[in-house]
Amino acid sequence: MSFVSIEQAGYGVPSGGTILDRIDWTIGEGEFHALVGRSGCGKTTLLKLVAGLLAPSTGTVRIQGEPVRGPGAQVGFVFQAPTLLDWRTVLDNLLLPVSLTRRPQPADRRKAEELLDLVGLTGLEGRFPSQLSGGQQSRVALARALVTEPPLLLLDEPFAALDAITREELQDDLLKLCARHRTTVLFVTHDIAEAVYLADRVAVMEGGHLRHALPVPLARPRGRDVRYSPRFNALCLELRHAMDGKPDRPALERAS
Amino acid sequence: MVRLASALLLVLLLAGWEVHCRVAGVSALVVPLPSAVLRTLWDGLAGGYLLPHLWVTTAEMGMGLAAGCTIGFLAGVLLAEVPVLRRLFYPYILASQVVPKLALGPLFIVWFGFGMTSTVVITALICFFPLLENTMTGLQQVDPNKRELFRMLRATRLQTLLRLKIPSGLPVILAGLRVAVVLALVGAVVGEFIGGRQGLGASIIAAQGMMDSTMMFALFIVITVLGMIVYQAAAGLERWLLRRPWKG
Ligand SMILES: Nc1ncnc2c1ncn2[C@@H]1O[C@H](COP(=O)(O)OP(=O)(O)OP(=O)(O)O)[C@@H](O)[C@H]1O
Ligand SMILES: [Mg+2]
Repeated sequence: MSFVSIEQAGYGVPSGGTILDRIDWTIGEGEFHALVGRSGCGKTTLLKLVAGLLAPSTGTVRIQGEPVRGPGAQVGFVFQAPTLLDWRTVLDNLLLPVSLTRRPQPADRRKAEELLDLVGLTGLEGRFPSQLSGGQQSRVALARALVTEPPLLLLDEPFAALDAITREELQDDLLKLCARHRTTVLFVTHDIAEAVYLADRVAVMEGGHLRHALPVPLARPRGRDVRYSPRFNALCLELRHAMDGKPDRPALERAS
Repeated sequence: MVRLASALLLVLLLAGWEVHCRVAGVSALVVPLPSAVLRTLWDGLAGGYLLPHLWVTTAEMGMGLAAGCTIGFLAGVLLAEVPVLRRLFYPYILASQVVPKLALGPLFIVWFGFGMTSTVVITALICFFPLLENTMTGLQQVDPNKRELFRMLRATRLQTLLRLKIPSGLPVILAGLRVAVVLALVGAVVGEFIGGRQGLGASIIAAQGMMDSTMMFALFIVITVLGMIVYQAAAGLERWLLRRPWKG
């Protein structure tokens, strides 16, 4: 059964016309989907429709069959910018999703510290966001979205500010965590290799349309050797062609 | 080094003033001798004449500041949170900015009589506006991304206010407080000019009645020092609240 289903969803603004045009997409439970496309094609907007932060002007978005009417408790969102509270410590920032619903318990604290270890920020829980590098800030934002273990994760280019090695480590950690909790994920990225490495299925957007869908039939768990396999490179090339808009009617039909 | 130089400059200036007055024989009524001013100041403080007045002015300023800032802050929160009220009241708030609040002093004397109450009310009224204005601005300037984060985390309106809007608007609000502190002293002293029986402002008027310029200069020094102390206190409070390791 599909966890997220986007049905003919469109979004327009009074001034700028159509930003998203009748998008159809479904994500099965526990699946990891990536969304790629050039800057300004509407990826963030689509993610916000799924999150319930924006209401679609046409069509509907369903999560577990229920139409989305606003931000839900089962959704975790990592924004494109880290968006940390500068007057709170890293630990307080991590616990924000918890502390808005109840008083954080020692168990929550342990959880937060585990997540800090996971994103490679051990021992920085007492720092303030202004004392972190840009990449460290975006890792805190990622950990914050994971702290409540939401069944659906929406990530907007969470690794864009990171170096290649840290990024690879975090990709592996994210895959591990999502596999452990059977999290359903929609992951926006600019990076073709990242999309292919992480996803079961990649959607290619262009100018507010979904142009192409590319299944990634690589076995899991995926490790370092996968990144350098010919199979992987062939898929990257295929995705690259899809983004260039080369293919082709058949691919378009596969997407819709 | 520069501090030393500017202190030296003050001493030189005072010495020049003293010498000029003595040599040219300027009347003490027009410009008193610095040495005489200092002696009057010392006698007033040591003899206890100035202390009750200092206390009255400080109390008026403190009460007016507390009342004006509290009401201004709460009104600012209300107007920032309820757009209907904001649209309803904002033209009046803009208009009232240009009303010289001190000019209402005589009216307050009619309403509240001579004495502390009118001065406190004037001071509060003067402090009200910077807090109102800055609270409104501060609360409305919240980063839209952070607002969206709180929406995503399904924070209630009160949580968003207390845990996002007020902390992130705090620098602007405290800048308003700093302005209010300076205005409060002006309000208290000028309020006493108009309707005070006691206090530093009332003492200036009394000294003027006796043509005692020396005393007026001494009072002027007391008021300046008082202003510097409260301003530094406000700036210190601001630094303390905004210190980066901020547990809130
Ligand atoms: N509030 C708005 N009003 C008008 N146009 C908007 C608004 N928000 C976004 N847009 C436009 O909608 C388009 C899609 O924006 P969106 O943020 O979804 O892009 P994106 O694919 O996430 O880009 P990037 O990769 O650069 O983050 C852009 O062309 C943008 O200019
Ligand atoms: Mg975007």
